[in-house]
Amino acid sequence: MKDMEQIEEMLNYYIDGELDERKSNEVKRLIDNDKEIYGLYDSLKRHKNIMDAVPHEPAPQGLCDNITAQLEREILLADTGIYSHSAGRRHLMIRRLMTAAAVLALAAVLSTVVFDIFVPKSSRDQILSNTFRKKPIKQVLYEKPFAEPPVEDKKIVAVKPIDIPFVAILTLKTNNPIEVDWLVAKALTTTNLFSRTTAIDRQAKNVRYAINCDNQSLANLVQELSFVWPQCTETKIDIGTEQMGKYITVSNISAEQAMEICKAEDFGQRMRIAADLGIINKFTSPDMLDRLYAAKSIDYDSLISQKPIITSTEKIQSASLPADDNTKNATLTIIVMSE
Amino acid sequence: MVKFIQEQLKNSGFNISIDEATLLAQARAGNMESVERLILKYQDRVYNTVLKLCGNRDDAAELTQDSFVKVIQNLKNFKGQSSFYTWLFRIAVNATLNFCKKNSRINFQPLQSEPDQELKKQLKDYLVDKTSPQPPQVAAAKELHELILKALEKLEPQQRAVIVLRDIEQMNYNEIAETLKIEIGTVKSRIARGRRNLREILEGVI
Repeated sequence: MKDMEQIEEMLNYYIDGELDERKSNEVKRLIDNDKEIYGLYDSLKRHKNIMDAVPHEPAPQGLCDNITAQLEREILLADTGIYSHSAGRRHLMIRRLMTAAAVLALAAVLSTVVFDIFVPKSSRDQILSNTFRKKPIKQVLYEKPFAEPPVEDKKIVAVKPIDIPFVAILTLKTNNPIEVDWLVAKALTTTNLFSRTTAIDRQAKNVRYAINCDNQSLANLVQELSFVWPQCTETKIDIGTEQMGKYITVSNISAEQAMEICKAEDFGQRMRIAADLGIINKFTSPDMLDRLYAAKSIDYDSLISQKPIITSTEKIQSASLPADDNTKNATLTIIVMSE
Repeated sequence: MVKFIQEQLKNSGFNISIDEATLLAQARAGNMESVERLILKYQDRVYNTVLKLCGNRDDAAELTQDSFVKVIQNLKNFKGQSSFYTWLFRIAVNATLNFCKKNSRINFQPLQSEPDQELKKQLKDYLVDKTSPQPPQVAAAKELHELILKALEKLEPQQRAVIVLRDIEQMNYNEIAETLKIEIGTVKSRIARGRRNLREILEGVI
């Protein structure tokens, strides 16, 4: 029995081709000469043939994909041997960090949204200030490029209001219009304002000049025009107000008064001077003086005085025009009328 | 890409010239394309062996997948003392045997249909009466496949492993010894006993 088992093993080696040539020849001779051994060999061979005939079953579709997918999952979950090299580890680390960053960012956004929705703003500020032990920082809309110098005690300086341009109509009535016209033209030329004269309208009985210049030039012009006054029988100046087309009229104005108005520091002062002079001149008109002197039988000539001018300290100081007045526009219309 | 390689390998019947050492080196360096090539090269053989060992297609697919994953994850530990082929099969067979041990009642898939009388008669003629010289009709029958699986199921796991590796995977004795990490004498005795038992089982069925 033991021998048969050994023979069977030997026959299996023979069938499987695992014997060397010498042993193989011995077994072959044994098979050929012994019917029982041949029967066993034949049986083993037939079973072997049956097993060999069993078809191979291929792997199911998608097995490779499943394996690679599982590999990727495993790589994400744990450090594996295949990805222990630096590139793979770096790649894996980057992916992990990105995933973690994305999760954190999402959590932060969600927390902010929830906090914003459920906590009112006042409570929110209080919570934040209590949490961080500091005042909430004001929102800075812009950042100054340089550090601010230390704040000094600044004196409060009144800001000058935007001045209203000087608008005036100077009417000169004369018996000698040609000479007055010539003197006006000369004054314009002397003060270099002839080129600034925007219009010269010569009618049968009057000549009209329209001049646009700065206040300083206007003052110079009025000063030059002082030579015209002796030639005039009646003078009048209309000073424009804030309302379009409304004027303060100063009748019987003297050259000095006109000068004073022109040198006024601002519109308000100009209006005050014009109004004052308008009232004064009205009550000191030649007719009124004549009536007054006749009634009182006073020496007429001794009482004739110069036209009054306002000579307060304020006015003297304000006579010097500030430098920025040069930029102001002044419009003067001079009308020379013949009697 | 995977499908393309799959087609190429199928068309060439695995005879495609792929330097396995290069593939292994590239796979070890993390080249997924090389990993896929290795999988495609061996997946059918591993699956077929595992299926014959465990007898269930679903389990076989899962065990094959796990085995490949384990192999690729441990590629850096592969020293090359044995061939990649035997190393891969060792892992697959051990995983399958462990699985079978844990699930003592192996879930062999039931036969779709009992082999018909004609097939039984042909098989008996061929194996017992020895009147038929060749088994073409018998071998071609799908039921035979199921019958062999059924017979293998009744073998001891260790015997089943050597029989499958020898008669199904066509490994030689040295490869089987290397794969199962056993002595070659043990391989010989297990093969002899396994075949004897299988023969008795088959003859009992028919």
